[in-house]
Amino acid sequence: MYSYIARRLAFGFLTVIGVSIMVFVVMRILPGDPLVAIFGPEGFVKLTDQQRANYMKELGLSDPLWVQYLAWVKDIIRGDWGHSFFRSESVADMILRRGPLTAEIALISVVLSWLVGIPVAIVSALKPNTIADSAARFLSILFLAVPGFWVGMLIVLALLFWFGYRAPLAGAALFADPVANLQLVIGPAIVLGLGQAAYIARMGRSSLLEVIREDYVRTARAKGLNGRLVISLHALPNALLPVITLSGVLLGLVLAGSVPVERAFGTPGLGFAMYTAVSERDVFVMQNLVFLYAAVFVALNIVVDVMIAVLDPRIRLS
Amino acid sequence: MTVAVSQPLPTTVPSRLNLVLRGVARFFQRAPLSAFWGVVAALIVAMSIAAPAVAPYPPLKSDFRSMQKPPDEKHWFGTDQIGRDTLSRVIYGSQASLTVAFGAVLFGTTVGALWGLACGYFGGRFDMFSQRVIEFLQSFPDLILAMAIAMALGGGLGTVIVAIAITRIPFGGRVIRAVVLSLKEMQYVEAARGLGASHKRLMFRHILPQCIAPYMILATTHLGVAIVIEASLGFLGVGIPPPNPTWGNMLSDALNAGLVPPWWLVLFPGVAITLTVLAFNLLGDGIRDMLDPRLRGSV
Repeated sequence: MYSYIARRLAFGFLTVIGVSIMVFVVMRILPGDPLVAIFGPEGFVKLTDQQRANYMKELGLSDPLWVQYLAWVKDIIRGDWGHSFFRSESVADMILRRGPLTAEIALISVVLSWLVGIPVAIVSALKPNTIADSAARFLSILFLAVPGFWVGMLIVLALLFWFGYRAPLAGAALFADPVANLQLVIGPAIVLGLGQAAYIARMGRSSLLEVIREDYVRTARAKGLNGRLVISLHALPNALLPVITLSGVLLGLVLAGSVPVERAFGTPGLGFAMYTAVSERDVFVMQNLVFLYAAVFVALNIVVDVMIAVLDPRIRLS
Repeated sequence: MTVAVSQPLPTTVPSRLNLVLRGVARFFQRAPLSAFWGVVAALIVAMSIAAPAVAPYPPLKSDFRSMQKPPDEKHWFGTDQIGRDTLSRVIYGSQASLTVAFGAVLFGTTVGALWGLACGYFGGRFDMFSQRVIEFLQSFPDLILAMAIAMALGGGLGTVIVAIAITRIPFGGRVIRAVVLSLKEMQYVEAARGLGASHKRLMFRHILPQCIAPYMILATTHLGVAIVIEASLGFLGVGIPPPNPTWGNMLSDALNAGLVPPWWLVLFPGVAITLTVLAFNLLGDGIRDMLDPRLRGSV
């Protein structure tokens, strides 16, 4: 078990390094001239040569690329995540202030997706091709197609229209002001949670349908165990393994989805910060945030893999 | 599948068109729901091609006498802040969405498939290296990677296509590689190799044609995702820039319109996205079931 975790961690470390190189290539090399990316094509033309040279030097962009890369990695490790061009707050502080809100949204949405998705999957799989099953499948197909941020906009609009209610715009920490905090996170969490629940219900249904046909489930039934126990004690634990894997993959959907969804709700989380960075063409903040998102995604996937290994001896021992 | 034994052998070789028509007819019979949504998808594509004829107004023309008007008989979907007709903009918006979706999926899946073909066929160090790179690509949530690339390259039709295409490459690479790995060991490939066929001939003449079914499945199942990513990029301001309408940047404009966005500016572009994605997803499901019976009924 420990060797598996160690291997997985080593592998994850390599992946994070690969990811950092990729982020660097995308954000620093692809734009051609980083000043074009910062100032936009029109703004760039207006700069004099002298100004260009000064900016390049100030930003450390005249060094060779590998020196720039190493300097960036060193900064990241030291916790110096740089400054935005447009704000005084350092990126590290911003992440610490806004990150918890997005993490909360992600966590609640995952819990919600299981609370909704699994019961739906069980009903669907135990009574296939009934009205309940058809309704569940129709809803999950619909939710796979609806863009989350649009649902978010509709929710905000409906609340405003019918109740004159609007979620607070300022950030609120969980422990300092739980009520305001809940109002901020609940909307995005519901939207993202339902989006995942659709995948989970679909996957859970087909995985459960497969498992209940297996011999050991029939044996459990034959020895007289009651139906409910057969499902909850024998069928579900095995059927849920692929769902846990899927849930890990869906975390990518949550992390990425939080950007447009937070914009739709106006939630002052990290996703909104990313939207701001994109719309202000703030390359360096974007670079660090993209790296952070990818690194978090890698780390969460390691956690999910380890969790599966704990639950499934076939993986642990192979 | 039943084989009609009593049927007389066809005297003439059926033409290609005939074969296609027969395939479509069988699709309608076996998967009526998917076929219905396939028709919806075809209608959306037709609407987008015929946009100048279908749209009641030019999408960029503003009418300052009717600004931000709710739907009425003159403007079925209402007008936006500067008096542009929302219905026309939704219709024209489909052009951007569909061009990007088809372009990105075709480009990304093809590059991925060719890469996967090379990896599976040659194996060895090249394969090892490629698999790592694909892993790194998959370590990014799709939208985040697309955002970063679109931002780095600057907004526009071409860059959005490239940005979304890159997020599709790993899928093509993985699936086709796995298919090629099993095909490579087949006897007919061995026979061709024994006859002295070159690598090029083996890859493109003998192995690649067998990859068409998984390629088609991949491409159709990713169309919906590509449309959602395109809309999200537009919504976040890194898609195709205004004033050209896309469903995403229309939603973004609606949000920028004021503290309370008018409901018709929010509702209609979103409905358009949802319907289109739904149509392509269900069509894709049907195509997958038909081309790969083993997958039927699973996710």
